[in-house]
Amino acid sequence: MKVLIIEDEPALRASIQEYLEHQGYICELAADFPQAIDKVNEFDYDCIVADIGLPKGNGLDVVKELKLLESRAGIIIISAKDSLEDKLSGLELGADDYLTKPFHLSELNARINAILRRKNFDGNTTVNFSEITIKPASKTVLVHNKPITLTGKEYQLLLYFIANQHRVVTKSALAGHLWGDEYDQAGSYDFIYTHIKNLRKKMLEAGGEDYIKTVYGTGYRFG
Amino acid sequence: MKLLTKTTLYFLLIMLPVFTAGAFYLYAKFNTEIKYETDEELVNDKLQWMRYLDTASVNNPVFSIKTPEFNLHPTTNPVQSKHNLKGVNIYQEPENTYAPFRQLTQVIRVNNKNYELVLRKSLIEKDDLVNNIIHVMLVAFGGLLLFVLLSNWLISKSVWKPFYRSLDKIQQLQLNKLESIVFEHTATLEFNRLNTALSAMTTRIHGDYTSMKELTEDAAHEMQTPLAIAQSKLELLLQDDTLSETQQNSILAGYDELQRLSRLNHNLLLLAKIENQQYPVTEQPDLCTVVEKYLLLFEELIKEKELHIHKEITATAPWPLHPALTDILVSNLLGNAIKYNYPQGNISIRLTSDTFTISNTSHLPEIPANVLFQRFKKHNNGYTNSNGLGLAIVKKMADSYHFHLTYYYTNGQHTFKITL
Repeated sequence: MKVLIIEDEPALRASIQEYLEHQGYICELAADFPQAIDKVNEFDYDCIVADIGLPKGNGLDVVKELKLLESRAGIIIISAKDSLEDKLSGLELGADDYLTKPFHLSELNARINAILRRKNFDGNTTVNFSEITIKPASKTVLVHNKPITLTGKEYQLLLYFIANQHRVVTKSALAGHLWGDEYDQAGSYDFIYTHIKNLRKKMLEAGGEDYIKTVYGTGYRFG
Repeated sequence: MKLLTKTTLYFLLIMLPVFTAGAFYLYAKFNTEIKYETDEELVNDKLQWMRYLDTASVNNPVFSIKTPEFNLHPTTNPVQSKHNLKGVNIYQEPENTYAPFRQLTQVIRVNNKNYELVLRKSLIEKDDLVNNIIHVMLVAFGGLLLFVLLSNWLISKSVWKPFYRSLDKIQQLQLNKLESIVFEHTATLEFNRLNTALSAMTTRIHGDYTSMKELTEDAAHEMQTPLAIAQSKLELLLQDDTLSETQQNSILAGYDELQRLSRLNHNLLLLAKIENQQYPVTEQPDLCTVVEKYLLLFEELIKEKELHIHKEITATAPWPLHPALTDILVSNLLGNAIKYNYPQGNISIRLTSDTFTISNTSHLPEIPANVLFQRFKKHNNGYTNSNGLGLAIVKKMADSYHFHLTYYYTNGQHTFKITL
């Protein structure tokens, strides 16, 4: 899977690249608007991560260019501006998702994953991890080919873990993914533990291995 | 009071003494004129009488005639060469009043005898005169009043129209729509000056507003990017398997603090945006839906604390507030009600079409009114996951969009009430 990262901040660009490459993506980089336009014209990408504020241009114009090229690439806009208009115009232009800086790398990765699942296989695919098979179209989960019943939150957790397999995922990233940005209004992340406990229990009961490792007080690692 | 009503009133107030003075002047003028005319007639009568008396003196009688109008009787006073004119009041028997008369007196000589001739003429028309003058003046004043009112009404309909149009425009002014305001050209110099000044002012305000808005967004951009970099570096660092538990915890602490900083930044920008009225009211989102949405979102937290929720919610409650703001309003208040509650406590939510009340039990004491909505005032010790901006944001929303936010504390219940 090829991903183009369009971001003018070298340090952030490198972070995204490092995280995504570790998850098995091939990453290409563009540091400004002309570079981005060149790259999207020259190569095909599965997904494009584009910052809105770019030197010599605007990330939204990259989206326009992609639509002109009738590209099938998934597009995620990242922006430091938490501006509703930017978000709406980005999505109207044909972007698939919008993330506001700062974001969790695991969240960006999960969203790229979700877009690719939807785009490339029109949803008719399975996500596999050892004995676990997920059919996103029907939202069913099989362990050793036997279906298990998960709640919505448990299902989302499992997808998130598999997308970010072998990485440490923090509790705040999980909470943000499952409950949106308002979760911090109410205070604690402790309730995440309940969902993880239940997910772990259901998978163990179905004969699966225990892939969810608690990493000290930090978060969790899957696989 | 309308400007026109005011000027009309002043006009009438000034006209009243003018008319009174006019009436007096007219009265005095007519009075003198009548006196003069009467005197002329009296002199004329005198000449007639003297001519008559000269011819009627054949039999040499002694005249002694006494009527109110004509009086001739002998006297020993010396003959006067000039008559004497004056005004007198004579008693009128039938009416039992005194009536004004002009009186001519002269001692004349008829048949070698001295007589005193007294001629009088009634000035009784003078009363009528006063009445007439008052009458005329009243009619004129009434007519003027009517005319002034009518013309004012017409003037306000036509001449003041551009003024009222400009006024309406300013009243409906919204900061984010300033540039679209055009004040038309009128036929009145003053209104044109006013409109030019207003145009210049709105342009200037719009410029300031735009630059402030840009600053807000630039500030967000400038701060969020370094935050994003730092956060991503720490997240990558966390992936290192060789880290000790202490090292990992230190990184996580830094990571969490960065997120707090980012939330703080986000909330400060939100405050500025609300103050700038950058959330126009374009629709009326249903607050019921929003409340239900957040009850669902916070479901886990509510269950975990075993809180009892009492709901009293109307079927629909469309509130004139930007959807982003209704979300923030409900999540801030409901979030606080959960966060500062004790296990197995209560939350009651009451929503009508124009009030939204949320109360919760808490171990925290009553919040002093003077610090209630202050920024960074934390009313809670031991709750680190708070940036002290939640209530300030709700308050700012209330101020900027003109609804009332009240707080009261009764029987251990903290209550926030919003009234449209």
